[in-house]
Amino acid sequence: MLAVDVKNIKKTFVSKQDYVEAVKDVSFQVKQGEIFGLLGPNGAGKSTTILMLTTLLSITEGSASILGLDVSSKDKEVREKIGVALQDTGIDNLLTGRELFFTTCRLWGYSNKDSEKRTTELLELVGLMEAADRRVKTYSGGMKRRLDLGLSLVHSPEILFLDEPTTGLDPGSRRVLWDEIKRLRDNGVTIILTTQYLEEADELADRIAIIDEGLVVAEGTSDELKAGIGGDVITFAFENNNDLENAKNILKNTVQEKNELRITVEDGASKIPGYLKDLGSNGVEVSSVSANKPTLDDVFLEVTGYRLEGSEDITNEEEKRKR
Amino acid sequence: MKSNRSFLVQLQILTKRMVLRVVRRPLAELPNLIISAFFLFVYDGALGGVFGGTASGTPFDFAKGNFINFILPVSIVSASLSGAASGIYLVEDIESGVFKRYQSMPISRWAIILAPMNVGALRVLLQSGLILFIGIIIGADPAVGNIGFLIVLSIAFIWGMGFAGYSVAAGVKSGSSQGAQAATFLFFPAIFLAPTFVPREALKGWLETAAAYNPTTYVIEAMRAVMVDGWELDILFRGYLSAGLFAALTLTLAVLSARKATEKA
Ligand SMILES: Nc1ncnc2c1ncn2[C@@H]1O[C@H](COP(=O)(O)OP(=O)(O)O)[C@@H](O)[C@H]1O
Ligand SMILES: [Mg+2]
Repeated sequence: MLAVDVKNIKKTFVSKQDYVEAVKDVSFQVKQGEIFGLLGPNGAGKSTTILMLTTLLSITEGSASILGLDVSSKDKEVREKIGVALQDTGIDNLLTGRELFFTTCRLWGYSNKDSEKRTTELLELVGLMEAADRRVKTYSGGMKRRLDLGLSLVHSPEILFLDEPTTGLDPGSRRVLWDEIKRLRDNGVTIILTTQYLEEADELADRIAIIDEGLVVAEGTSDELKAGIGGDVITFAFENNNDLENAKNILKNTVQEKNELRITVEDGASKIPGYLKDLGSNGVEVSSVSANKPTLDDVFLEVTGYRLEGSEDITNEEEKRKR
Repeated sequence: MKSNRSFLVQLQILTKRMVLRVVRRPLAELPNLIISAFFLFVYDGALGGVFGGTASGTPFDFAKGNFINFILPVSIVSASLSGAASGIYLVEDIESGVFKRYQSMPISRWAIILAPMNVGALRVLLQSGLILFIGIIIGADPAVGNIGFLIVLSIAFIWGMGFAGYSVAAGVKSGSSQGAQAATFLFFPAIFLAPTFVPREALKGWLETAAAYNPTTYVIEAMRAVMVDGWELDILFRGYLSAGLFAALTLTLAVLSARKATEKA
């Protein structure tokens, strides 16, 4: 059975002032035991999709099922099977981590005694034992996310939804969460996570769907997506605009980014001399050229026509940290 | 593992959690308590000191010589407005996302809504009770005997729940804790367009008219009857009725708006 089966779902928000098609047409399937990543920029419709799948928003059109249970008609049963950590973490700052776990265990129906036991287990699992009796107000961003993750695990859900679990975290905390998420997957939990970070999707997700403006524009494993580009990416850089414009006409099918042009071809390295000759004979000066295997970044650019902002964040932060 | 997810268990857990939140912010209890006590001390200090023990025939014989008895109902009504915190508690959870988390779990939505109402009720009882206690210490002495204290407290409770309902409705409707907070400004017309410092007979013109339409008037008059005059059943009945109708109205609004808030968009 599929863990998650989403068929052409759509969400429109209608109010007096406006009409927003937050999700236009999203379909994907998640197999049990895998990490599935929904990758897309801010406003792409990731959270709206997650809210529909977790029974918190109605589905305007289309249908979705979780472990064979229809999300709309069997919402109660679905809630029993899923764990949810939303983007805007619903965490009670005035309580301690232990109190939050205990309360959540009790709400899921555990007795006092079982709740205490489960609380200890989960505090260990997400590494918050030491901070257990401090108010959540004093937790760092990373600790709050781990708490949030832990809270979504109270009832040992088979399917876990994580909406941007690491956004805004420093690279160290991000790694810790990545490791925890992978460990959960290795223990058989199916995970659907959303992210704005290419690296995160690349590192964590067994399969990725790229979502842009409410549509799934590409889907597959990271390798499949990269292979789908077909060959290598050659990047030409130019010092002046005239050269760039001329080159655009000569090379055809390029994608421009700032002072660079990219072209995707089979066996890139061997084709560079030919291109340079063409350009040179037309008097175009190229300041640098390189051929690379496509990255997820290139895939994103190819399928959406723009580069994912903030995808450099991680590298930047990592560099900052090294300094 | 044995699992118990009955409505009452959930309500109890959610109420306990919210009590913890209140206990962790003790200072938030102070403003309303201070305002309520202020009425008691300032009024008694201003008039009681000068005219204490006034015989009949003076401008102040409405107090029958005990200003504490006369002003205590105002303080208690003011204390009972602490019920308005219910809406603020609920909206805080909506704003922080805790509400959404609960909705994603198999929890009764009525338990989610009722927990802050419960805590509002507790708050009303504690604050009113505390003011009553201060009143007793400084010389309140109901004309009908000690049962008068119970009557006053029970009216205050119903009245306070009316404010709880009102704040929940206003908070959910506005969707922000500022909205719920703003709702508490109803306090001013409620207290000041009523026979707060003098009996209704002494109010003149538009103030008299406004007071006649203000349910607070009847609530205060009922409490005052018990404290100052003795058994006046029609006045008492009007007091319970005003408080009861107000509470019924606002609690209905609260339920309606809360039902809407918990529906899927
Ligand atoms: N409740 C809502 N009412 C109106 N528009 C909304 C609502 N929720 C989201 N949107 C809009 O839908 C689009 C997708 O939002 P969202 O799903 O939050 O994107 P993401 O999570 O990928 O950043 C955005 O344009 C957002 O403004
Ligand atoms: Mg989002």
